[in-house]
Amino acid sequence: MASPAQQLPPGWTAEWDATHQRYLFIETHTGHTQWEPPAAGPELSPQPSVSPPPSHHAKRRQYAAGQTQAYYGVGDSLAAVPQYSAAAPQPQPTQLFTPGLAADGQFQQQQQQPPPYYGGHAEPEYINAPQQPVYPVQPPSQMGVLADQFGQMTMGHKGLRLFTTNLLTSPPEPLELRQPPPEIFLPPNSCLSQSPYANADASYQRCTLNAIPTTNSLLNKSKIPLGLVLTPYRSLKEGEEEVPVVTDTVIARCRRCRTYINPYVQFIDGGNRWRCCMCSLSNEVPQLFDWDQVRNQPGDRWARAELNHGVVEFVAPTEYMVRPPQPAVYIFLIDVSHSAIQSGMVATATRTILENLDRIPDENGRTKVSIIAFDTSLYFFTLPSGGAESSMLVVSDIDDVFLPKPTDLLVNLQEARPALETLLGRLSDMFQDNHTVGSALGPALQAGFQMMAPIGGKIMVLTASLPSIGVGALKNREDPKVLGTPKESGLLQAASPFYKTFAIECSRAQVSVDMFLFSPGYQDVATLACLPHYTAGQTFFYPAFNASRTEDAIKFAHEFGKVLAMPIMLEAVMRVRASKNLRMSSFHGNFFVRSTDLLAMPAVPQDLSYAIEVQIEDTITAPFVVFQTAVLHTTCYGERRIRVVTTALPTTSNLSEVFASADQVAIATLLANKAVERSITHRLEDSRDALFNKMVEVLTAYKASMTAAGAGASAQLAISENLKMLPVLVLGLLKNVGIRQSAQIPPDLRAYAQALLTSLPSQILIPYVYPNFYSLHNMPPECGTVGEHGIIMPPPLPLTSERLERHGLYVIEDGQTIFLWIGRDAVPQLVMDVFNLPSYEVLRGGKTTLPVLDNPFSQRVTAIIQKTREMRRGVYYPHLYIVKEDGEPPLRLWALSCLIQDRADVLPSYQQFISQLKDKVSVNSMPSFAIFNWMFM
Amino acid sequence: MGGAGWLFLFAVLMAAGLLFTMVFFIIMFSDLECDYINPIDLCNKLNQFVLPEHTAHAFLAVLFLLSGQWIAFLLNAPLLAFNVNKIRSGNHMYDATEIFRTLPTHKKESFIKLGFYLLSFFYYLYRMIVALIADSE
Repeated sequence: MASPAQQLPPGWTAEWDATHQRYLFIETHTGHTQWEPPAAGPELSPQPSVSPPPSHHAKRRQYAAGQTQAYYGVGDSLAAVPQYSAAAPQPQPTQLFTPGLAADGQFQQQQQQPPPYYGGHAEPEYINAPQQPVYPVQPPSQMGVLADQFGQMTMGHKGLRLFTTNLLTSPPEPLELRQPPPEIFLPPNSCLSQSPYANADASYQRCTLNAIPTTNSLLNKSKIPLGLVLTPYRSLKEGEEEVPVVTDTVIARCRRCRTYINPYVQFIDGGNRWRCCMCSLSNEVPQLFDWDQVRNQPGDRWARAELNHGVVEFVAPTEYMVRPPQPAVYIFLIDVSHSAIQSGMVATATRTILENLDRIPDENGRTKVSIIAFDTSLYFFTLPSGGAESSMLVVSDIDDVFLPKPTDLLVNLQEARPALETLLGRLSDMFQDNHTVGSALGPALQAGFQMMAPIGGKIMVLTASLPSIGVGALKNREDPKVLGTPKESGLLQAASPFYKTFAIECSRAQVSVDMFLFSPGYQDVATLACLPHYTAGQTFFYPAFNASRTEDAIKFAHEFGKVLAMPIMLEAVMRVRASKNLRMSSFHGNFFVRSTDLLAMPAVPQDLSYAIEVQIEDTITAPFVVFQTAVLHTTCYGERRIRVVTTALPTTSNLSEVFASADQVAIATLLANKAVERSITHRLEDSRDALFNKMVEVLTAYKASMTAAGAGASAQLAISENLKMLPVLVLGLLKNVGIRQSAQIPPDLRAYAQALLTSLPSQILIPYVYPNFYSLHNMPPECGTVGEHGIIMPPPLPLTSERLERHGLYVIEDGQTIFLWIGRDAVPQLVMDVFNLPSYEVLRGGKTTLPVLDNPFSQRVTAIIQKTREMRRGVYYPHLYIVKEDGEPPLRLWALSCLIQDRADVLPSYQQFISQLKDKVSVNSMPSFAIFNWMFM
Repeated sequence: MGGAGWLFLFAVLMAAGLLFTMVFFIIMFSDLECDYINPIDLCNKLNQFVLPEHTAHAFLAVLFLLSGQWIAFLLNAPLLAFNVNKIRSGNHMYDATEIFRTLPTHKKESFIKLGFYLLSFFYYLYRMIVALIADSE
């Protein structure tokens, strides 16, 4: 692109501003700066045709220069705001601007046709990192324009405006899923702080509706499920802001509802009292609230973290402890039966533990570990502190499990380090010739439990066989005849009550269980996953694991290593409080519900998502409501803390605002949880029907209340712009392994997919439901190179095989697996460049590691794969499969099943799905229904 | 007093017992809702009573069947079938992990059973009196 400097009137210079990715124009003799290219005359009339702005959108708003700077000067708070996009969201739609005439015309045009993302512009404007979405059509920014244009139609006050799209004519746009949720427009003066962090970030806590309906009937009219999706304990990537910690143990809480003080309370009585934002009770401000205990002088109340941050951590005083903070305890239960040894699991696991001993959280040297091996007997290892030798104690009485020795079994990690290292180095060799088949997992769990019950902690189970003897023995109940029938959901329920009762015992004793499953055959994942489910752990499943394939070993070692290094929360309880008339009605996720609203989590791993459904009990009169999640926990460094996540949301009595504020990503996450629960308690088919019907209900409600058609048949299927991706997400859920209609999915895979659907946070869940699809052979030249925010990813394509060209190279990834699809007519040069092989014919499909080659294309492809593995939170390290277009059918079908907009077997394509929805909606919105609706409007 | 009289006297006592069990269940459920008891203790406590309650009811029904009290038996048959079906499918015990999700169902069930036992209590009482009058004539 030619530098705009050449087109400048005399006296002006243009400077490239790296932060904002645009040119800054400076009038040299006055020092006046502005973002817009100066026009020839003194007045700042936009003339895009004469001097186009450097961005490829000509529809840039013309801000008054000073205001623009003030706005951008806010600085990093806007870091999450798309930066290439010409129009940034305006904090105040009334801000001064002069909409360009040409821009308006273009806007109309854009409403009709999907905007060109790759119009051959040299200006890079796509994603550097998917966390930082860049999306050219930015509805919030159009608000101002539309507010002016359709002023008479809107309610006239600040807030979200509704944009209707027709699903029949606008295909799903993958970039839209990377958009932040609809903006939260709180009433003025509701927040004490000006801080942009006063409301918790959506990655910690998000609500399906960002404007809460005031009455239940209004919510029912919209048919959108109301719920919270939260990940209170998420990992931080480099450069992300740490959660601020309040260290002075001054914790102000409401006397009645126990709400923690937050930015949405009100100070009254000259600042001596505060009014709770949930129950409106006036409380005293604690005496030391304005005292800086570190410097021992009066402090500034307004600088306190809890009044400025939506996510904050309090150091808890002794009132919050039932016992002194416990040390972190890890017990490894390692299966050493024949199949486990043969698969190389034991060797890989012990090596990984050995390599990661330093990463296990142990800051003050209190962490304890123990190792128990088991096949049909239990093998304990004494690890004398200071000594280098361990000795093995065998217990073959598995009916009445006891610990063979009172001491030296559970040992301090640092003190017993030498002994532990030798043991880990030898363990796999010790059982090298073990031919015992069978597993006494139940007794081993009981032994581990006995060992740690007084303290609590984490049991990590690594097993490669179906538990066969002792308590908790399971039978192989896999029956191909049952698959695809209504009885299939029986296979997804726990087969033995042991895994539930034992889970409850564990939860009481603050013991959490993580399952790593490796079986070559049926392992009853559904039953085994119960333990992590109710003890707040995680399940990892490596079907047909074989360590002789390096990819398998790397994947497991990577994930296991991350789990070991993860700083966990111990002995945690979580409670969600909300404003008056809102009630938490049901809970989904990995925990044990200890009382109506208290969730017990013996250990909280990072990046686990929980979904909570919310009920509106009575009319809400407040202008805004607050949701506050509090997690009381012990850090693995032995400190008792409370993490408090606060989200404030406005209320509305306007149905269009309810629709406009709906967060499709949160809705999809909640629906995934509900669908899985339904598939277990009812049938898989019921859960699919429920999903489909929910979608129909939402569309019907939207049509009846928000469009002119109202009742009867109409030629379009309308939904608001911000819910445009919901149908395709629902389709993705219907086609997900966990829920899909099929008679071929092994119950283990299904159960694992369901475990993922209920525990993944939105950031990982959305690609799991709606995978990413990139084309590599014709990606723009910048992609795969390091940009300002890391590696630049190619633009995502819609998930349909129409986009597959016969000579192309594509990536399809869902966060759990990466497929590298190569077309049959791929040119030899491409194959040579990427795989270092002479031609397509020589290339073999399957799990692989890409060779690192010395050519730019290979490096870019490797960089993209690498970035895909790293860009999300969570421990998952996806496998890379090469899929040849004419390769093995199962692998090909698997990869193609990720392209959810295609028809597959009995499952509809996106077009069919939409027309099914449309038919259903037309039937539902019969005149009687419309009259009914009209009466209540 | 004849056989029928004794039978219904026994039935009245049993119905009273069952009635109290149900009241106990309902009280426990509302305790759980008010957070006076935790779900684990609740389930441990209630599960002790589930099978005795079912057995007692089944025993009563069988007595009616053997003594040829057809109407009384038919009245009890639906509940008997319901209980047997629950035990066969293995979900008659209260599950602490699911209790909050299933609580409304459990409460409803307990209320219906309470009503049923109450009605059958009066019915047995009536039949007992009828039997006694028939005896004394």
